[in-house]
Amino acid sequence: MTEEPSNNVRTAAMRYVFEANGLCKDFDEGRVRALRGVNFRIAQGEFLAIMGPSGCGKTTLLQLLGALDLPTSGSLLYRGVSLPALPDPALYRAREIGMVFQAFHLLPTFTAVENVQLPMFEIERSASQRLKHAINLLKSVGLEHRLNHFPGMLSGGERQRVAIARSLANNPSVLLADEPTGNLDSENAHHILDLIIRLKRERQMTLVLVTHDPSIALLASRTIRMIDGQIAADPPAPQSH
Amino acid sequence: MTFFTIIYRGLQRRPVRTGLTLVGIAIGIAAVVALVGISRGFEQSWASGMKARGTDIVVSNMGSALAPKPFRAAVRDAIAVIPQVAATCAIFVDLTGIEDSSMMVVSAREWGGFSWQNLKLVAGRMPKDALEPALVLGQNAAEALKKKTGDSIQLESTELTVVGIVDGGALVENGSVILSLPLYQKLSGNEDKINIIDVRAVPGLNSDELKQLCARINHQIPEARAMPAGEHVGNSEAYRFIRAMSWGTSLLAVIVGVLGVMNTMLMTVFERKQEICILLAIGWKRQRVIRLILWESALLGLLGGIGGVTIGCAGVKVLETLPAIHGLLEPDLSPRLMVMAVTIAVIVGVISGIYPAWRSSRLNPSLAMQG
Ligand SMILES: Nc1ncnc2c1ncn2[C@@H]1O[C@H](COP(=O)(O)OP(=O)(O)OP(=O)(O)O)[C@@H](O)[C@H]1O
Ligand SMILES: [Mg+2]
Repeated sequence: MTEEPSNNVRTAAMRYVFEANGLCKDFDEGRVRALRGVNFRIAQGEFLAIMGPSGCGKTTLLQLLGALDLPTSGSLLYRGVSLPALPDPALYRAREIGMVFQAFHLLPTFTAVENVQLPMFEIERSASQRLKHAINLLKSVGLEHRLNHFPGMLSGGERQRVAIARSLANNPSVLLADEPTGNLDSENAHHILDLIIRLKRERQMTLVLVTHDPSIALLASRTIRMIDGQIAADPPAPQSH
Repeated sequence: MTFFTIIYRGLQRRPVRTGLTLVGIAIGIAAVVALVGISRGFEQSWASGMKARGTDIVVSNMGSALAPKPFRAAVRDAIAVIPQVAATCAIFVDLTGIEDSSMMVVSAREWGGFSWQNLKLVAGRMPKDALEPALVLGQNAAEALKKKTGDSIQLESTELTVVGIVDGGALVENGSVILSLPLYQKLSGNEDKINIIDVRAVPGLNSDELKQLCARINHQIPEARAMPAGEHVGNSEAYRFIRAMSWGTSLLAVIVGVLGVMNTMLMTVFERKQEICILLAIGWKRQRVIRLILWESALLGLLGGIGGVTIGCAGVKVLETLPAIHGLLEPDLSPRLMVMAVTIAVIVGVISGIYPAWRSSRLNPSLAMQG
């Protein structure tokens, strides 16, 4: 935490999972300005869709939310705590955040059930507990018959389901998804989206989803539109409950 | 799945590269095992040879040559009068090529001296007198030279008859050509010269008292140095040179091993850049990535080390059976040497992994999102 907030301010801040003020991110020593002063709030349990043309900074924004990178300036709070000031961002990523990528990003030399276990090494669990938990997660995404398949032997939709199971390995409270259906045909995309929305509801997670598809954005509780590193349209964040 | 599974999977993904790296380390470690084992064994077999002869102290002048430098035979008389000295035996030892065999120990012993007593006849007889043109062969020497009693051997351009084959109770003894000192002095033109005196102390001296006796002898005779039996070889310059060479070659092998493993680990880190970023993105600590890479390279070292010890021991065993050196080599392949070799290999692995591990930990997890 950078400044010491009064109790009122803190409780107000705590209602929001994320809160960004004047968030900027430059690359190449300022030659590329990916985010130019972004402000937003994301409430607990929201399903937020982020849309916008290619190169407008959507992925960059998700990277900052996931503490994969540091902002150049501005403030970014997670439940009232400054993300750039986190002493151990890996721990935050491991415990609080689940990530789903467009290109699945499974490790090719590990089977489905092993891929799901990878994040669990950062939390206290025995090997047998890890395996049991991974099998349960794969069951919850409907892949109990593909446990020992390597990613190369799985279809695109199946791979994304393994990746979703992996993102849930440590029971995160936030799911960050960067075009999770971008590499899938429309039918598979539909199933994956249903799955993500179902899991979000069951686990009461906050979901931030980047998409190009307006029909997907329609399912979100709110959609932020970005253009050229800035937010063009942002309906107000709902009050948390 | 355990953390070890992940380490193992990393090595498994490029079996050929992992295999070649293992062969590289294994050859290096095999060289360490063979060279160090042989040179240590050399020292030890001299020590056991001395023990077989009942020698407590060796007086010699180990210069830079493999054979000691000659000195006056009269030195022996100066030693014999010292009270704690029970017996002495003057010897002239030389290393020479005999017929086809490259290097043979020729040991010319004072006629009637105690250093003849440990020799047990296996075949034939001992020389009849000090000047009979005859010699006896240790049984390994006989085998290496393919000689039996009645054959003749040319020594210093004189034909000598092999009259007996002996068992000397130790490898060095059994690998020697043994004859009487006066005979050898005469035919080599080294009259009145010797280069070793075997000294037997009075019974019951402990090692400190033996050292004191050595000091006393050294004080009395400037020509040569007295040392407890066995130590004299280890302290010779020639032996030190052999030891330095074997360690030097081993060091080179180890450096080559380090470079090989480092290259492999750098390649693997480069190749798995995105995977490492993904692991960081899903919450792995940098420290865990470092551990993963270090363990992988340590495991390469361990497996290569075990392979190397196996190859090294097998190689030495094969070497021992070669006709030219059969029975002349008594390598020290002790468990201690093997554990040391494997330890070196693991250390090589860990050291080689440090830079690749550091590189991998500096990767930016945000790269996982790209592509
Ligand atoms: N590591 C980087 N180094 C330099 N420039 C970068 C880097 N990452 C992103 N950029 C640039 O920042 C801008 C925003 O990129 P970003 O990936 O966030 O866009 P995006 O909205 O996700 O686009 P898309 O819809 O194509 O995925 C782009 O101009 C991109 O080229
Ligand atoms: Mg993107």
